[in-house]
Amino acid sequence: MGMEAVIKTNNLSKVYKRLFKPKTHALDSLTITVPKGSVYGFLGPNGAGKTTTIKILMDLIKASSGSATVLGRPSYDVEVKGLIGFLPDSPAFSPQLTAFEFLNICAKLLKIPSDLRVNRIETVLETVKMSRHSRDKIGSFSRGMLQRIGVAQAILNEPKLLILDEPLLGLDPYGRQEFKQIILGEQAKGTSVFFSSHILSDVEEICDHIAILDKGKMLCAGRIDELLTASGTKAIIAPENDEALKELVTIAIATSRRDDGSWVLTFDNSNEIKIKLEDATKKFPQAIEISASHEKLEEFFFRIIKGDGAV
Amino acid sequence: MNEIIAIAGSTWKNVLRLKVVYFLVFCVWVLIASALNYDVLSLGLHKELLVDASLFLNTITGVLVIISLTFEIPKELKEGVASTMLSKPLGRTNYLIGKMIGYIVIGAIVCALVAIGSFLIFNVSFSEPIGVAMLQNHILIILSLIPMAAIAVLFSIALPEIIAPIVTVLVIWFAHSTSMLSNLPIIYGGIIPDLELFNFKSEAVYNNAVSWRYVVMVALWGICYAIFASSLASLIFSRKDIK
Repeated sequence: MGMEAVIKTNNLSKVYKRLFKPKTHALDSLTITVPKGSVYGFLGPNGAGKTTTIKILMDLIKASSGSATVLGRPSYDVEVKGLIGFLPDSPAFSPQLTAFEFLNICAKLLKIPSDLRVNRIETVLETVKMSRHSRDKIGSFSRGMLQRIGVAQAILNEPKLLILDEPLLGLDPYGRQEFKQIILGEQAKGTSVFFSSHILSDVEEICDHIAILDKGKMLCAGRIDELLTASGTKAIIAPENDEALKELVTIAIATSRRDDGSWVLTFDNSNEIKIKLEDATKKFPQAIEISASHEKLEEFFFRIIKGDGAV
Repeated sequence: MNEIIAIAGSTWKNVLRLKVVYFLVFCVWVLIASALNYDVLSLGLHKELLVDASLFLNTITGVLVIISLTFEIPKELKEGVASTMLSKPLGRTNYLIGKMIGYIVIGAIVCALVAIGSFLIFNVSFSEPIGVAMLQNHILIILSLIPMAAIAVLFSIALPEIIAPIVTVLVIWFAHSTSMLSNLPIIYGGIIPDLELFNFKSEAVYNNAVSWRYVVMVALWGICYAIFASSLASLIFSRKDIK
């Protein structure tokens, strides 16, 4: 039985034709599958085609060729939008309306029954920590507050799928932490999340799947733990074990000292090193802890973008 | 229908909270009242002059409100307000109709305020009730907002942001100039509406009323024209990429 997908694109392409200018291929034969229940990070440098993809999924722009389905229905189906929560890259709302009024309009558009509306709006405002600003005009809000209202309108309908374009932009570290909790909370409720971001450490923290895009083309996609392969071996030397440290430090490719006095040594994957590590572990069994060293998402991202190899 | 009302509601709430709207109404009242100072220059016809000024200035006020729609839609599309709304289960046609109705309501409220102000100025200045013809013409000015809003929606979707207001102003000006350009009958009532149907100032100043049936027929014509123009706008908008 195949994996159930919430987003599926098939050879999706977008070409911008402009008078007296060469054609721009914003998206080139993109094929992705976002599994149900996943938190899917959509990565790529500026101009990679992330926002174009998201806007095609939301039927805000039309694909030049290819197809896209969202929750099993064509992306141009108006009714499917009632099951999606969407946050655009630069959220902008009617400035003269209060946060409550704006969310009330969104609730009407989402066909939330009138007897449930107020309660639902109060709940989402509480979730994004904006309850005390509910009667303030949106025009007076900072970038971070606008982002919070954007998140509030996106989760208003308890969506089955959240599509977020750069949701962490404009949030302070505290706000980012809260936002990640919101995403994980939504995932726990069964919501699938598809979002683009430049903040790789956050993506690594909360995503279980990623796709990397560059110049409109997909470079890689898959489970994050499968993509970030074991790139070497890591040894943790317990504090005050100078003998063990002396034996291994000369063959390590990187060393760092932790606050507790222990040392973290990184080694490459050669057979010679493996033998030396096995010998040292036998010699100092209480002092050395060996584990696989995984590549960081940031390292992986730059390696892929620089063309060291597509996965 | 609820979605259209939601969009229209957000539009009029957003605009009617701008202080500049009420400043505009106040300025128009002052200009209408200033007609009273022309009793000598108008050879004692300042009562007729006041009626004429109130109708002319109310028409201009309505046009100004409608022109602001040609700024509003491109602005919402550019800034992403429209993206947020259109990411909800709201058809693009419903969005356009909602904006159009929103601006018709704004225009109706502003023009009604101008009309009420001019009735009060007339009543206080001449100690006589306002004429039926004056009332009818103010009603027709409010009804003329319907085809004008449809034109504004059409051009704000079909034309680039900078050109749309200019073309809209020109078309509305042509549409109000049927009597001067009457040798072009094919254009009027077709692509360009005949907004002179909504104007009988020259009769109204002498309190020569028209039949209420005429008012109803003109209103129906305006609605038909608005359906035609907004259908065209919807067709164009359905193929448009929203940045």
